[in-house]
Amino acid sequence: MELEAIDRFRYCIPQDAARGMRTEVLVFASPALVEQIRKDKSLDQAVNVAMLPGIVGPSLAMPDIHQGYGFPIGGVAATDWNTGVVSPGGVGFDINCGVRLMRVSLGADEARARMRELLNQVFRDVPCGTGGEGPIDLKLEELEEVLVRGAQWAVAQGFGEAADVEFAEERGALPDADPAKVSARAKERGRRQLGTIGSGNHFLEIQYVEQIHDAEAARAMGIERDQVMVLVHCGSRGLGHQVCTDFLAQMGEAMKKYEITLPDRQLACVPIQSEEGQAYLAAMRAAANFAWANRQAILHFLREAFRRIFGPQLRIDLVYDVCHNIAKREHHRRNGDPADVLVHRKGATRAFPPGHPELPEAYRPIGQPVLIPGSMGTASWVLVGAEGSMRESFGSVCHGAGRLMSRTAAKKGRQAHEVKKQLEEQGILVRSETKDGILEEIPEAYKNVDEVIEVVHSAGLARKVARLRPMGVIKG
Amino acid sequence: MTYEILEHAADIGFRAHAPSLPELFACAAQALVEIAMETADIEPRSSYPLEAQGESLESVLVNWLSEVLYLLDGRRLAMRSFRVRELTPARISGEAIGEPRDPSRQPAKLVVKGVTYYQLKIAQDQQGWFCEVFLDV
Repeated sequence: MELEAIDRFRYCIPQDAARGMRTEVLVFASPALVEQIRKDKSLDQAVNVAMLPGIVGPSLAMPDIHQGYGFPIGGVAATDWNTGVVSPGGVGFDINCGVRLMRVSLGADEARARMRELLNQVFRDVPCGTGGEGPIDLKLEELEEVLVRGAQWAVAQGFGEAADVEFAEERGALPDADPAKVSARAKERGRRQLGTIGSGNHFLEIQYVEQIHDAEAARAMGIERDQVMVLVHCGSRGLGHQVCTDFLAQMGEAMKKYEITLPDRQLACVPIQSEEGQAYLAAMRAAANFAWANRQAILHFLREAFRRIFGPQLRIDLVYDVCHNIAKREHHRRNGDPADVLVHRKGATRAFPPGHPELPEAYRPIGQPVLIPGSMGTASWVLVGAEGSMRESFGSVCHGAGRLMSRTAAKKGRQAHEVKKQLEEQGILVRSETKDGILEEIPEAYKNVDEVIEVVHSAGLARKVARLRPMGVIKG
Repeated sequence: MTYEILEHAADIGFRAHAPSLPELFACAAQALVEIAMETADIEPRSSYPLEAQGESLESVLVNWLSEVLYLLDGRRLAMRSFRVRELTPARISGEAIGEPRDPSRQPAKLVVKGVTYYQLKIAQDQQGWFCEVFLDV
């Protein structure tokens, strides 16, 4: 695939590179990352996204882009709200997969001294739920409330504190969610899974603040050097997965009806304003709300676990919660004109700049916190959204380090106990519910997160605030 | 009936082989379950009916595997084998043999989120039939 360098951090695939492209592809990457990106099919997938009817602006590829199915992971596409399409593949199976960061009133040394005990307690109290069940058994009426009220339902039930919802994207619940559009099967899959992490690349990490890059922003978030933080990465579990499955199954017929043809069935899409498009969005919002309730319940179990070890006076406060698999109606500007668009973020994080009205008041002067997990042996980053994101990327940045190695390749020639030992030597304890959970997520399987962050920082999409290092990791 | 794992940057896939199409669909279901969980200790206590529709053989396969995934994750069943009774490019019916899942005997290996159409392939070769399927994990 022909890739033209625009500057040190931007590359372009022109609109005439493939038949059917309606726009260009804009890639944010460094020369070293471009070499890695070229090794999989993610750029072909970004080209396919450029063929979506009603796409506004370029098909965007973030520096953590890697091969997905249909959309690349690390892809962003905005489509015209009135004439464009919605693609369930542009959100993915794990609707509102996202990240939640908490600050703990504890220094790194105090936590490190009792890390094994703490990690075991958290492992017991915050279930991975890979067997399909968690600690909360919801009645159907309760589940339907979760689908409408999201994190706000969880807090009302005692799974959290009132202030928690103030610091979640959308205050932890998207409006216009319709539980009636969520199938009985999806509800059955979700009924026993609230408050569980899942597996794959989902995790819970106990970290400490290693570096502060922006003192003012860190202060606004209550983050200090050497402070303990907890980062949780998970989504809407089986409920969201089933919503995506249900709508993908209907899309084949619907695409024929609307005479849409695309090179990859996994990109299946329908007009936003069609009955099918509106039904999908109403169900997707309900699944997104389930994910926020899930991460909120996890925060509650986490507080209980930490307080069992460090006493009831310990504070754990939510810094922010972001989703990175979602489609949202947003108002942007393109070439000076207002653009009413549906922004698909598939492995990409919203990154609104300072002053944006949708930010909580405490963060309006600094910009939206952007949470970027790295791998379990390296680092994670806290950034804030910058003005460039509104000009160039529909208020979006990357969502992680980006995978480099397949799961099979990661496992080859390695033993879980050796990886655990190596990480322990670096001061990182790991517990995993599944045998392969540790091997598949080895640090070498990921790109260099610092290099990914450097790109979005230097390109002006977001600003560095703090670098976090892991001390204790729980994998599903 | 055999299958092997296919590499993918972030997710996982498999290529299944079988002498006939019904056996291929049964083998694909088996591959999906074995990717998701340990299957060495599953008793053949009950039979669970399975059915799916589609507008092509490919979409019947995706919908069939999505049904298996629902039994696994939604109904929390442990399945050790599959039988396909009827298969057309519009419909499949069959059954899974297994028991209610006991995570202490059948621990999870990987949570499979969904069955994708990405690079989906069903074709014939000299040995019979094969399919390639990628799963979101």
